[in-house]
Amino acid sequence: MHWDRVWTAANWERLLVGDLFNRGEWGGLLLTLTLGVLSIFLSTLLGAILGVMRSSARPALWVPAMLYIQALRNVPLLILVFWAYFVPPAFGLNTSKFTSVLVALTLFTGAYLAEIIRGGIRAVASGQLEAARALGMGPFETQLWVVLPQAFFNMLPALGGRYVVSIKNTSLAFLIGLAELTEIGKQIGARLMTAPIEVYLTLLMIYFVVNRGISSATRLLENRSRFNRLFLRV
Amino acid sequence: MKLDWTILWGDPGLLVLKGLAVTLELAAWSLFWAFLVGLLFGIVRWLGFRLTEPICWFYIEFARNTPPVVQILFWYFSASYILPEWMFRELRDIGYEFGAAVVALSMYHGAFIAEVIRAGLNSIPKGQYEAARALSLSLPQALGRVILPQALRVVIPPLINEATALTKNTSLAMAIGVTELTYQYKHIDNFLFRGIEALAAVTVIYFILCLVLAGIGKAANTFLSRHISRRAATATIISE
Repeated sequence: MHWDRVWTAANWERLLVGDLFNRGEWGGLLLTLTLGVLSIFLSTLLGAILGVMRSSARPALWVPAMLYIQALRNVPLLILVFWAYFVPPAFGLNTSKFTSVLVALTLFTGAYLAEIIRGGIRAVASGQLEAARALGMGPFETQLWVVLPQAFFNMLPALGGRYVVSIKNTSLAFLIGLAELTEIGKQIGARLMTAPIEVYLTLLMIYFVVNRGISSATRLLENRSRFNRLFLRV
Repeated sequence: MKLDWTILWGDPGLLVLKGLAVTLELAAWSLFWAFLVGLLFGIVRWLGFRLTEPICWFYIEFARNTPPVVQILFWYFSASYILPEWMFRELRDIGYEFGAAVVALSMYHGAFIAEVIRAGLNSIPKGQYEAARALSLSLPQALGRVILPQALRVVIPPLINEATALTKNTSLAMAIGVTELTYQYKHIDNFLFRGIEALAAVTVIYFILCLVLAGIGKAANTFLSRHISRRAATATIISE
């Protein structure tokens, strides 16, 4: 075992922030987390819109949403990343690696989140919606202020699970050469050549710590009063 | 930008079909081993031995919380250090990418399936197990003849979800050069410059694969829950 050769200060620096300090190109865990957090945020927005559309009674709303969800959920994410990275240049559009992965990841996760959010919306008692409408709130206001906040609380465990998958999925970016955590790890492994076990175990451990952190955070939020205090200000 | 779809009837089409064969083979082997691993760990966790619990917990949490592609890289690049030297020499000559991908995918999805199986076993009332043991069935008999037949019915939908996820994750095996569908797309893109056509074909194939799996799942579910609808029908007759 050559842990001393893997766990040098220089290697840890590259794993955590990439070449931020020596070349100004950031990467490593920092890039993984940026990508993950951005895509989690955007895909939750997309998922909420699609989920509301999917649970609507109007065919003009739920049919497109259902088609989108079915199409995106039944294709590997890697294929979507390739679509987002290799196809736009053929039509004269140049997308950066970061944008391609972000777009693919957001569209993909959005489809999964839509199904989760639809389930959460269905679990909200229908009296809530009727009461809000009876009080004169519009359909949009009702969803935003009455249905979705309750739905989000109910589906926290499922959402947390999906966010962990999002962080795991950012690792696919290395297949188009984005210098995130996996790519940096692979470079370190290729340079050392003799310590693959140590290098990849280090990578796995970093991902494990981050993802367990997210699971624990969602478990903390499953406390109703804490959730209300943080997000609903009541 | 001109697209020429006719190329799919030539060599690129053959490459895609070859890739499809490898994808199916990889998915079938991984699913088989993942199911065995999941069944084993699911049952052991359900039994709740104090000695094995930390090991099972560590394996399942570690496998579920780390990216599958990193696990694939780990098994592939560490093979020469993990395996005995003579075995590695043998394997190196015939290529062990496929084996490494099977190991990684079955360890990754095995952890998910273990949780599914455990949840299924937990959904069966404890009284079933106790009654079976009280009737002097041994532990394997009680499991195999009383608990598992009931539990497996419950877990069919989530298992099919896992099978779909596994089929999609076989695309990650291209990272270590397994010549499956996604790899063949890259190959066609690199050497024949017909990337978009190949990518579209590969996308459609994955889509159909997943739909077929979902269809099988639905059929299996209806077949296995016939007794439930029959029971419901009986209940309505009685209530009438």
